[in-house]
Amino acid sequence: MSHDYESRWVYRAKWTYLLSVVGVLMLPVLYTLWISFNANGFGAAEYDFTVFWYVELFNNAEIRTSLGWTVLIAAIVVAVTAPMGVLAAKFYQGTQFKVPFVFLMLSPLFVPADVTAAALLVYFKNLNGLVDGLIGVELFDLSLWTAVAGQITWCLPYAFVVILVTMGRFRPEQTEAARTCGADAWQAFWQVEFPQIRPGVFSAGAFVTILSFNEYVRTNFLKGGFDTFPTYLVSYMLNTGMTPEVYAMAGLVSLVSMAAIGLVLVVALRRRIV
Amino acid sequence: MSGPTDSGGAAPQRRTLWQAIVDDHGPGRLVLWIPLVFMVVFFLIPLALTLVWSVFERTMFWMEPGFTLAAYQDFFGSGRIDSFLGSVKSAAVTVGVAFVLGFPIAVFVRRSVPAHAQHQAVLLFILPFMISEVIRLFALRPVLGRNGIVNDLLMSIGVVDEPVSALLFTPTSVVIGEVLSFLPFMVFCGFLAMEAVPDYVFELCDDIGSGLAVTLRRVIIPLAAPGIVAAAIFIFVNSLGLFLVPDLLGGPGAANAGTLVVNAIAALDFPLAMAIAAIMVAMMVVLLLIGHWLFDLTKLLEPFR
Amino acid sequence: MSGVPAVEVDGVSKNYGAVSALKPTSFAVPNGQYFVLLGPSGGGKTTTLRMIAGLIRPTTGRVRIGGRDVTDEPANRRDTAMVFQGFALFPHMTVEQNVAYGLELRRLPKDELRERTAAMLRLVGLTGYEGRRPSALSGGQQQRVQLARALVLQTSIVLLDEPLAALDATLRKDMCFELKHIQESVGTTFIHVTHNQEEAMTVADQIALIAAGTLVESGTPRAMYEHPKRRFTAEFIGENAVFSGPSSEGVLRVGGVALTVSCVEPASAISVAAENIAMHRQRPDLEQALPGTVVDVFYLGFTALLHVEVDGGPAVPVRLPSRELDVGIKAGERVWLSWDPGHARVHMA
Repeated sequence: MSHDYESRWVYRAKWTYLLSVVGVLMLPVLYTLWISFNANGFGAAEYDFTVFWYVELFNNAEIRTSLGWTVLIAAIVVAVTAPMGVLAAKFYQGTQFKVPFVFLMLSPLFVPADVTAAALLVYFKNLNGLVDGLIGVELFDLSLWTAVAGQITWCLPYAFVVILVTMGRFRPEQTEAARTCGADAWQAFWQVEFPQIRPGVFSAGAFVTILSFNEYVRTNFLKGGFDTFPTYLVSYMLNTGMTPEVYAMAGLVSLVSMAAIGLVLVVALRRRIV
Repeated sequence: MSGPTDSGGAAPQRRTLWQAIVDDHGPGRLVLWIPLVFMVVFFLIPLALTLVWSVFERTMFWMEPGFTLAAYQDFFGSGRIDSFLGSVKSAAVTVGVAFVLGFPIAVFVRRSVPAHAQHQAVLLFILPFMISEVIRLFALRPVLGRNGIVNDLLMSIGVVDEPVSALLFTPTSVVIGEVLSFLPFMVFCGFLAMEAVPDYVFELCDDIGSGLAVTLRRVIIPLAAPGIVAAAIFIFVNSLGLFLVPDLLGGPGAANAGTLVVNAIAALDFPLAMAIAAIMVAMMVVLLLIGHWLFDLTKLLEPFR
Repeated sequence: MSGVPAVEVDGVSKNYGAVSALKPTSFAVPNGQYFVLLGPSGGGKTTTLRMIAGLIRPTTGRVRIGGRDVTDEPANRRDTAMVFQGFALFPHMTVEQNVAYGLELRRLPKDELRERTAAMLRLVGLTGYEGRRPSALSGGQQQRVQLARALVLQTSIVLLDEPLAALDATLRKDMCFELKHIQESVGTTFIHVTHNQEEAMTVADQIALIAAGTLVESGTPRAMYEHPKRRFTAEFIGENAVFSGPSSEGVLRVGGVALTVSCVEPASAISVAAENIAMHRQRPDLEQALPGTVVDVFYLGFTALLHVEVDGGPAVPVRLPSRELDVGIKAGERVWLSWDPGHARVHMA
């Protein structure tokens, strides 16, 4: 392309700008991470490296419980969303109404989290009253499951897109070849197509894990009487202000996310799916 | 070799129940509808119903069916509309800043980065995006605060003598928070729109030697328009709606539409919360329709066809 | 059993919404025949093949295989196997696994499965490649693996959809001979789709010409080449000078010349094979000699191809032995064309 004749310095300057924007976006996170390992906390004149604040976190039973809920929700959300992403991508390939379907699937990205969450909250409260009145069971009382449903609406668009892109590289001739070899529709999918889109499904699963792990707004509205790690972190921060424990909690979330995204990138680059 | 034998030839005709289910026209096909049904039940219907609930009568702790515009009167006839309009203004500023900072990156990646590395370059912007929103916003506090890293830097290079306190808990910090939250979307959407443009278009521009300004105005921006519009709508609506930004970075009284929704729910005024939600959804739909009408947003979906 | 055709296509059509890909079409393929569906791209031949395979469902009509109506059966329950143009090998499996895939679905005993797979790889000349991945094979080798994968199933019909289109010209020719040999040795009915007439002529026992969603004509390669009944056949197969225009009372006018048509009914055109046209540099002493101008001269080795623009008529091909160029025929020269009336073929409307 045109970069062959572009001044190398201009080219480098552009790259520098790109990377520095990424840097600026990451800087606050890295900065808090740095603070979180300081024994003297934020604003101190001296820096003494420590993992003390992190150890403190794990000594806190409430934090351990909230981490447990976070992991449980993330596991359920991934287990549901990744297969749903595959189904959605398959549906997309087969439907005549591609544009309306994609608009519907991607629209949760466009609606602010608190608007979706508030609407779902009122929806579940109404449904709960309705079902309770009909069969006497509080089926839609705010709980783990309402939080899971809220998170899935947020995660499914990402899973859908990632899997759809991977699926786009699969040649439909292979499904046909499998069918003419005697495979039924399910065998053709499971034995021929799925092994080839598996990296995409794994990436989608990893992204969904991160999204679920970090989700705050919807979870906070829709959860039952428990705390996940992000909701605990925010309420703790709003109560006590910026204590070293808050930095450590923030650091923990960032580290988990970064490890996960790093893993995805390494896998993706090695398999050349990006 | 002989003709067809029993062991070869057509696959066995005996069919199990499972085979009947996964057959091309069997009931197994219905599972493909699960995602669609899920999104309709847990997303489309709740958001559509906000309009209905917004005209319900407010009760002490809940609401009951009825028709009243009290919630809308409450919204338009109080200080809330001022907060709302204020947040519209800062959301618009955010869109502008994000365009100026982010769009050149999309252009640069599409035009100058070698084809095989383009996706990786764009994916770099997923990195910050994948860190919790809460953490990224919260992390801005120590960065922008009086003792923060930005003020340290400014003072050490002698730009200012005293820490700048306007950087945190002000409308400026809200815009900074919004830009940092949503900038990647300008890069993604801008790139996505230009990815559909074949290389030769850019090569032709170089070939006929049109200057950068002309190329931008006559070729790149028109071609990337669907992406720019989609990103602008996304950033605008989310800046307006995400209560976390004013909550964590704004000064006392800082509010946007999201804050109003959250506060209304906290005050158990459900019709008011639903009215604001309905206004937000309607705004988004109208903006998307206008954007689509002007620039055909389906062009962004080309890669998925 | 021998009286029942291998495949019967009975009034089959395919519409996509308002667009018709194939109008109602009927033909039968006898057992053991090498049958070729020939025609321009987008004409409906691949659609026909895919309906025989069970990959798409006909809008109307029935498909019978070995006398059994299979119209409502999907591909995996039909007694057919298929070879695709390309990209159809499973990239995550080795050559051996690809070939054995269909046998595994049929739950064959392990030793029989290995034996049949090995025999097939030997037949297509790929012994020694068992452990390779498709990406490590050349285009020709990939198509051989596909053929082995189809033949190993011992179905009564093998369908081939442009199996050689992705190969370069030399390789395509060799593979044509090989396909024909393999078909003769296994005796299975082959139905082969191609847009390449040379390929079709080489392999076919019988050709069906399909264009614009209709079956134009079918017959042996020789009949189609020498005695095309339809004008389109004459235009598509071989090189023919085609003169069209309404005829009346046994006369068809080209420019100022009246050509006698040996047919009482009104014909729409007559055609003459390029190699059956004689070219004269002086006006011959014949009633029906068409005057014209040489437009192009192409030297093609043993023969030469000329384009001659007939006065008041079309530009037509003329094929001559190359040595006749020695007299120095050049573009722009005035010539007269004639032929033995027995070589002129009449095409109905």
